[in-house]
Amino acid sequence: MKPQPPSDVQEAELHAWVDGQLPPDRVTAVTAWLLHHPADAERVRAWQAQRHALQGLERDVLDEPIPLALARAVRPRSIWQRWSAAPWAQGIAAGLLLAVGFGLGWQFHPSVVSVAGNGVPGFVREARVAHVVYVPEKRHPVEVDAEQQAHLVQWLSRRLGSPLKAPVFDAQGFHLVGGRLLPGEAGQARALFMYEDAQGARVTLHVSTLDTDPAKSTGEFRFARWGDTQTFYWVQGALGYALSGQLPRNRLAELASAAHPQLMP
Amino acid sequence: MGIESALPHIPRLRRYARLLTGDATRADDLVQDTLERACRKWSLWQPRADGSGLRGWLFSLMHNLYLNQVRDHGRDDAHEELDEWTEPAHDPLSHVPERLDLERALARLAPAGRQVVLLICVEELSYTETAHVLGVPVGTVMSRLSRAREQLRSLMAGEAQAPARTASLKVVR
Repeated sequence: MKPQPPSDVQEAELHAWVDGQLPPDRVTAVTAWLLHHPADAERVRAWQAQRHALQGLERDVLDEPIPLALARAVRPRSIWQRWSAAPWAQGIAAGLLLAVGFGLGWQFHPSVVSVAGNGVPGFVREARVAHVVYVPEKRHPVEVDAEQQAHLVQWLSRRLGSPLKAPVFDAQGFHLVGGRLLPGEAGQARALFMYEDAQGARVTLHVSTLDTDPAKSTGEFRFARWGDTQTFYWVQGALGYALSGQLPRNRLAELASAAHPQLMP
Repeated sequence: MGIESALPHIPRLRRYARLLTGDATRADDLVQDTLERACRKWSLWQPRADGSGLRGWLFSLMHNLYLNQVRDHGRDDAHEELDEWTEPAHDPLSHVPERLDLERALARLAPAGRQVVLLICVEELSYTETAHVLGVPVGTVMSRLSRAREQLRSLMAGEAQAPARTASLKVVR
């Protein structure tokens, strides 16, 4: 039989005591009650142990990389994609496209019309996802920390099949936190280096091996933004770099400019 | 703020779904359905000033999807029903560590009780937030919490009479 606490302390208050949801002005009364009612104290102790044990279940899931299918489900779609996905819109869209096409004599090739972040290379999209996932991570932002920098760079170079470098941003006030290995959209190996400044602001440098002809790389910086995350990206040799952060654009540009000469093959 | 702001919530949604369904594949399918529904309904979501609303909204989307599943199948497949509960003294696994005992006890709760316990203990939602996610009054949350905690305690203590007392529990909104 469940002991029935008298009206001065409610059953709900015992739960609230365990869950830390008791109003501050009731803490003393409930604590005193528990001191004088061993049966209730025993139940509360059991609930506390239960709560603690429950919090330990499946903890590992929190540290697993997010499966690609799930990360993709929340990839922002361009207005165009969202609009054209609606069946009713497709007819109108086709008509509009024709009209625009005739009107402008197809001056705008579809790939040139980039709307709302559409049209950035795949590696930049991967970099943004990685940035958004790992930057808020408190316990395990990186797999290998900066103390083992030589090992980290060597390991990631081996996995990407290309010699990598972790640029130094000391002059800009950022230090290396560490790095991790990530899967690309088609399962390729990707590297992520994370940096932090004294205020705890984080930037990530995402490195991808590209199939494009290195001779074609112009080395110019391009800029993209996605919510409050800004990214500078460029291609150097056979590697695609994306530097992302929630920093003012000029501050991020400064970091990108500092990285570029250090990453010369 | 776009749908990509749901990304940091995915690990917690996955853990919650896994504990709720007791099956890793089914859990990820549930998360996937939740995120897809969130994409479709994104324009309906009202951000709160402190940014805390998104997680609760995702949990309530997941709750509704899960409820449909439980309704469609009459019960949740991965878990045994309370009625099928057997004497733990005869269980060959009774010597396994506490962690598994707790997971098995959790699996034997009615879905409604399991949800409340997980949202409050694991996800550390407030009672009000939990009520909001589940679409029930706070009083219902409290009575389900109380019942689920006592059930877990009895199940883990091996008190055979516990399930008999609660076998009539049904999924109610």
